Formats: sequence, structure tokens, C-alpha cells
Amino acid sequence: MTRYAIRRLIQVVPFAVVIVCLVFVLIRLAPGDPITYLAEADGDAAYLAAMRAKYGLDRPIGEQLLAYLSNALRGDFGDSFRYNRPVAEVIVSRLPATLLLMGTALAVSTVLGLLLGIEAARRANSYRDLVLTTGSLLGQALPSFWLAQIVVLVFAARLGWFPVQGMTTARANYTGLAYVLDVAWHLALPAACLGLLQLALITRLTRASLREALADEYVRTARAKGLTENDVVLRHALPNALLPVVTVIGGQFGNILTGAVLIEIIFAWPGIGRLIYDATTARDYPLLTGLFFVAALGVILANLVTDLTYAVLDPRVRLR
Amino acid sequence: MRSVRRVTTLLAATALMVTACAPQAPTTGGAAAPAATPSPARGGTLVVAASSDPGQLNTAITTAGGTHFVAALLYNGLIFLDQEANPKPDLAEKWTISPDGRSYTFTLRQNVKWHDGKPFTSADVKFSFEEVLLRYHGRTATMRTVLDGIETPDPFTVVFRFKQPYGPLLQRLDVIEAPIIPKHIYEGTDPTRNPANTQPVGTGPFKFAEYVRDDRTRFVRNPDYFKPNLPYLDEVIFRVIPQANTQVLALENGEVDYLNSVPGPDLARLRANRDITIEKSAMGSGGSFCTSTLIFNLERPATGKVEVRQALAYAIDRAQILEQVNFGQGKVSEAFINSGLTWATNPNAPKYPLNRELAGQLLDRAGYPRGADGVRLSLDFVHPSAQSRLGELLRQQLQPIGINLVLKALEVNAANEQVFIRRDFDIGWASYCNGPDPEIGVRRMIDSTNIGPVLFSNGAAYRNPQVDDLLNRAAALTDRAERGRLYQEMQVILGRDLPYLGLVESEGYRAWRSSFKGFQYWSGLFAETAYLEKR
Repeated sequence: MTRYAIRRLIQVVPFAVVIVCLVFVLIRLAPGDPITYLAEADGDAAYLAAMRAKYGLDRPIGEQLLAYLSNALRGDFGDSFRYNRPVAEVIVSRLPATLLLMGTALAVSTVLGLLLGIEAARRANSYRDLVLTTGSLLGQALPSFWLAQIVVLVFAARLGWFPVQGMTTARANYTGLAYVLDVAWHLALPAACLGLLQLALITRLTRASLREALADEYVRTARAKGLTENDVVLRHALPNALLPVVTVIGGQFGNILTGAVLIEIIFAWPGIGRLIYDATTARDYPLLTGLFFVAALGVILANLVTDLTYAVLDPRVRLR
Repeated sequence: MRSVRRVTTLLAATALMVTACAPQAPTTGGAAAPAATPSPARGGTLVVAASSDPGQLNTAITTAGGTHFVAALLYNGLIFLDQEANPKPDLAEKWTISPDGRSYTFTLRQNVKWHDGKPFTSADVKFSFEEVLLRYHGRTATMRTVLDGIETPDPFTVVFRFKQPYGPLLQRLDVIEAPIIPKHIYEGTDPTRNPANTQPVGTGPFKFAEYVRDDRTRFVRNPDYFKPNLPYLDEVIFRVIPQANTQVLALENGEVDYLNSVPGPDLARLRANRDITIEKSAMGSGGSFCTSTLIFNLERPATGKVEVRQALAYAIDRAQILEQVNFGQGKVSEAFINSGLTWATNPNAPKYPLNRELAGQLLDRAGYPRGADGVRLSLDFVHPSAQSRLGELLRQQLQPIGINLVLKALEVNAANEQVFIRRDFDIGWASYCNGPDPEIGVRRMIDSTNIGPVLFSNGAAYRNPQVDDLLNRAAALTDRAERGRLYQEMQVILGRDLPYLGLVESEGYRAWRSSFKGFQYWSGLFAETAYLEKR
């Protein structure tokens, strides 16, 4: 499996090059110009020309791409126009906040979604199942940006249980445990909003998949052997039922990142979602290329992890 | 219960109006404490909401409003502009202008220290202009064409020499237009890449403490500030909150103390909250005296005809736009130069009161009779998507006179590019900011040598030798009253020719927790004199 993982990782390289080239060309084809953005409403033609030359934007696009690729091979992804700092440094400085937000949302929604899905499947068509299925249908239908606004209004503005924005309390300089608690307190609402859609999805999927498995012959055999209901459901049916669920969770990486962009803007969460938004409005080409590269890498890695999980869950799957 | 609340709202609103109308205490370079309280208490932390990350903290290399709003407190200009944009001392103690208006001599303060303890001298001023501001600060860089040289006869004297008499210099030297940065740190480096840009050193009321990208920037009190007793606050923290709604909620919740702008729909609610103070300001850090403006493309057959432009002006109900698009924030634009520039604006320039009948006659005369379907002509309106409400309303207002407005809403960068660079539009839109002097923000709109391909240039492609001449003559004078007369004459011509139609002069609102007082909210140094009231 290790060799399989390494081979898959090596396959990432050509993907990455293609992605970088595509992004590099596409964002330059979009209307708008980073220099006019940097200059805001100001500057005469001479000033704009000088700035364009300073950032190398006066050269042909092919030449720019070649220079970019040869630098990127040496690990230099250029400097952000807006921050005047290396792209890698800018992204790495904001990555932990997003990983924390996405990770928490994904972990909580997966665990909770599995539990609720199992519960719903075991008591199919009961009153409890009805509540869970309806609730998860609703959860899937709510757009996260709308939900986020409502959640802020109710739980932060009106009830005052949670802060409205940010990752920490601006006035306080907490350290140690107090800092961790402060971050957790700020994390609760955005992670809940981001996770709710996943939770609904995983609940519904687990329920459907598990119900299908419970109707299979081997479950009847297991029951006939006199195994307890818990053994039947959790040790026999569930591992088989989980395969489609794992596929879906792994494929959700891109969607969660998209959701994170909106959630980070609304809650003023200092992560890369907001960096993507700001870099797009500023036409910060180097930063944007770097960010899309990282996002694409994230999707590829999520797929790899999904495949590896498959092998663990299903002994019939052999990875070579 | 409800009526009680309404009464308190009314009281609060009245109180606000009274304070807004009361004459402001005179500020002399921000050095004097506000007159109402003789000795404000020292201490306290102010948390300010910023709409975007500053990116970096050297304001001399950029005109980005987001950078200046956060970092201006670290620096000083030679001049401080008071609420009416009158020049007052900042780093310069006093100044003289030569009789021919071609040279300005500034005497600098002698007790100024950089945050790292080194003394501030005239060499820093010369360096800041020659090596940084004139190259990288988009607005100040345009001064290169008229500036002849900067001399430093002694460590505390700076002389600016111009190729021709130059009137607007003093308005261009405040902390936003021309922040002074330390020569000993930036000399011999690329100022856009100097590590000091995120570890900045200035002379300003606050010193840099911490910068966490996209999260917060923290400044602490400069104990060696050259203005006695200032500043009062111990700490200023800028918290980045991109969404305007979230900013307002954070202010109401007490998570932040100061907002640089308030969205129209939230204004009434905040006014009713006694814990929050609101002030109106037409000036603002970065851009000031801004007018929401329609740009008529004079290179297109229809909008190239003056009758068509006048018909549009008669048919557009600007009071309704002010109410429905701008939520009553601001006032209807009546002259080409913003009424905030009281000495330059012309209240008697030609006016276009709502008169759709006259508009119809003008279109008949221009050769656009109504067709069978009642439509005389179609015009496209290229505008940023944020102005969609304006587009819809204009479309409604122009329908009765037989003009079919085709709405082209684009992402803001794309809209600006289509208007100013590709010049593919009949009617465009921009918020043109006049700045503290018409030479900064008005000339670029009408100067016949400034047509494309630069954003916020002469988008109408207006060419009038008479106007060019008036602009040049006004720039070459130093007497404000005389300059004002020339600008007023110019606005009569512009009112007739109508290359642009000003809709609404926008006003910004600042809001803060009422426990804080003493803000210079119109200035880049807004927190220099602020203090926390002890209860």
C-alpha cells in the first residue's frame, strides 16, 4: 500500500503542471488588471507603465509562463502583488486557520452523521427516523451563506452566546488553555455552519446505504447465527455500507473549501478562503495561481486518502 | 413601550443633530485637546474594524485605501488637513510661499524622533519624495511633471521648487497624500520589498506592535510623540472584518469600537442606539468628496449630442436616486465640483430640474422621434454590479421619455476596464473623488490630454480648449479666492456641455462606541486625539 501511495503521489506532478498552466493562462484572460487595482483610482499612464514593468506584466504571456514554471520548479512561486511577500509564505500563514475550520467541520459532521444515520437506519420508518430524514433534507437544502447570516443574528447578535466574528478576542492577549478555549468559542458557529451541510449529507447517505446492506443475505445469516443486533449492524453490515459514504466524504473536499470561502468572509475567519476572495478581486495573479494549486493538490490528496481508506474497509480491494 | 422607544430614538437623533451642527472645536494640527474636555484621561484600547487586510504597512508606496486606513497612524505628513481641508502644521511647523508661487519653504519641527529613536530631519523628507512617493504613490507621483526639485539647505528646512507657479501643494502634503518615511531604513533598498514594510518605523502617534495577516494589526502608544500629551490611548487594534453587516453586528456587540463606514440600511438602527455615536463626513482617508457620476461617452453618436445629454439630465430624478439607492446618505449633486470644496464649487452653475416634457422636446430636436413602439433610442449603461439598483431605477426613469436603457452590470474591475480602457459604452458610471483640491481629482476628468487608457481619467472624452485653459490658469495661481473664481467659471461651461452628470455627493458615516471621544474622524490620523471617557 505504501508503494501504491508513493506511485499515486508521483502521478500528482504532471497534474500539477497542467493545473498551474491552465490557471496561469485562464486568470490572465479574465477582464481586469492587477496594476489598475493596485493603483486604485490613481496614477497617470507613466506610473502605470512603470508598475507593469516592475511586476513583469509587460512581457508576452508565454515568456511569463516559462519564467513562472522554471521558478516554481525551484520552489519559488513568486511574490504576491498585494502583500509584496512570497506566495508560499502568505498561503502557509493562513492555511492553519482554514484547516482547523474545515477539519473541525468535517470531523464533527462525519462522526455525528454516521451516528445519526445508523440510528435512522436501525429504526427505519419510526417517528425518530422521520425527524432525522426530514431534518437532514432541510439541512441539505439550506444555502450555507444564508444559514450563516441567520446563525450570527440569532446566536451571536441577539442571544450573545458566541462572538460575531474573528478567530480570537481582539482586546485580549490569551495564552495557553485560555487561548485554546477562546479559539474554540470563536470556532463554534462557523464550523457548525460549514459542517451542517456535510452532516445532512452523511446522515442521509449512511441511512440509505445501511438499510440496503441490512436487507442482504449475509445479514440474515448473521442474525440466524444468533449474533446480537449490535454485532450484526456494526460489525457485519456497517463496513460494507460505509464504502459509498467514504467515497462521498472524500469527494466533498472541493465543496467544503468553496463553503469555507463564504463562511470565512461572513465570520471574518482569517483563512485561505478569504485569501482566495481577496486575491480574485485584486487580480493578484501569483497568489491566485498558488492558491488554486494548493486547492487542486488538496482535492487530489483527498482522493488518495479515500482510495487508501477503501483498502482498509474492504479486504477485497487490493492496491498495487 | 413602542412610543417610549420612539421618543428616545427621537431624542437621540436630535442630540446627534445638535452635536453635528455645533461648531467644531478648532484643531491646530491635532495638537490641541478637544475644547470640551480640558484633560482627557490616558489609557484604553480601541478596536477598529478594517474592511480588508492592509497587505503591508508602508503607506508611501501605495494609494490603497485599506492600507492607509490602518497604517496612517504610524506616520505624519508635513501638513495636517483640518475638517475643511485647511492646511495646519504637522511635521512642518510653518511655511512660506514665494511671491511668484514657484517655491515653498517649510520649517520642520526639531523635536521629532522616529520610533527607533533616530532624529527626524529634512533629509527624510527629500528622500521620501524623491525615492518613494514620486515613484510609487499613484497620486503624488503625478506631481513629477511640475516639480523642479527639492532642496534641504539645513536639517530643518525643506524647499520645494516648481517649474511653474503651483497652487495645490499644501493640500497634497497630509499623511494620506505624502507620508514621510525614514531614510535611514529605506535608503538603498527596494522600498516595495523592504522588510520594514511589515515592521514599520514612523514618527506617528502610535508605534507598530504586531501584524497577523487577515486577522489583526496592533499598535501601541508612542511615548515620545512630538505633540505634547498625545496620544491618549494605550493601544489601537485593527481587526479585519470583510463584511459590512458583520462589522455592524460586531460594533453593537462591543467586539469592536470604531467603524469607518456604515451601510445605509443599518444607519437608522445604529442611530437609535445610545451606546453608539455616528458622525457624517464627506471627507475620508484615501478619497474625499466623492460624487456618484454618470459618464457620457462623447465619442458615441447619440451621447455625443449635447441635446441628448441635457435630455437625460432633465429626465433623471436625482432626489429619488438619493432616497432609494443611497438610502438618503449624501445630497443631490448640483455642480460639477463637489459642494464640499466650498471655495471652488459653483452653486449657480446651470441646473437641470426634473422636466420630462422638456427632455422629450430636446430629443425631438436632436433627431430622435418616438418610434411605433414609443422608443426613441437605446443606450447601454455599463456599471459595476454593486450599482445594479441604480441601473434599475435609471431604466425606470428614462422609459417615459422613450429611452431604452440596456443594463450591462459587470464585476467592478471589468466595468472600469470596459469604460476607461476599452471605451465600449454609451453611459458609464464611476464614483469620482475630487480630493482636497480640484487639481487632484477634477482635472483628470476633463483635461483633454487625459483621455484613456487610465482608470478614472477623462472617461467622457471631453475636449474643450477653454476648459483646459481655465484648468492650467487655476493651477498656476496660489490665491485660493482667485483660483475659485476660475473654477466657478469653468463649471458654467461644464454645466452647459454636460460631459458628466453628477447624481449624488456621497457622504461617509463613521460610527463608534460612545465611551470613546475626540476622534479626528475625517483624517488619516483619526485616533491621534481620541480618548476613552472614564465612567
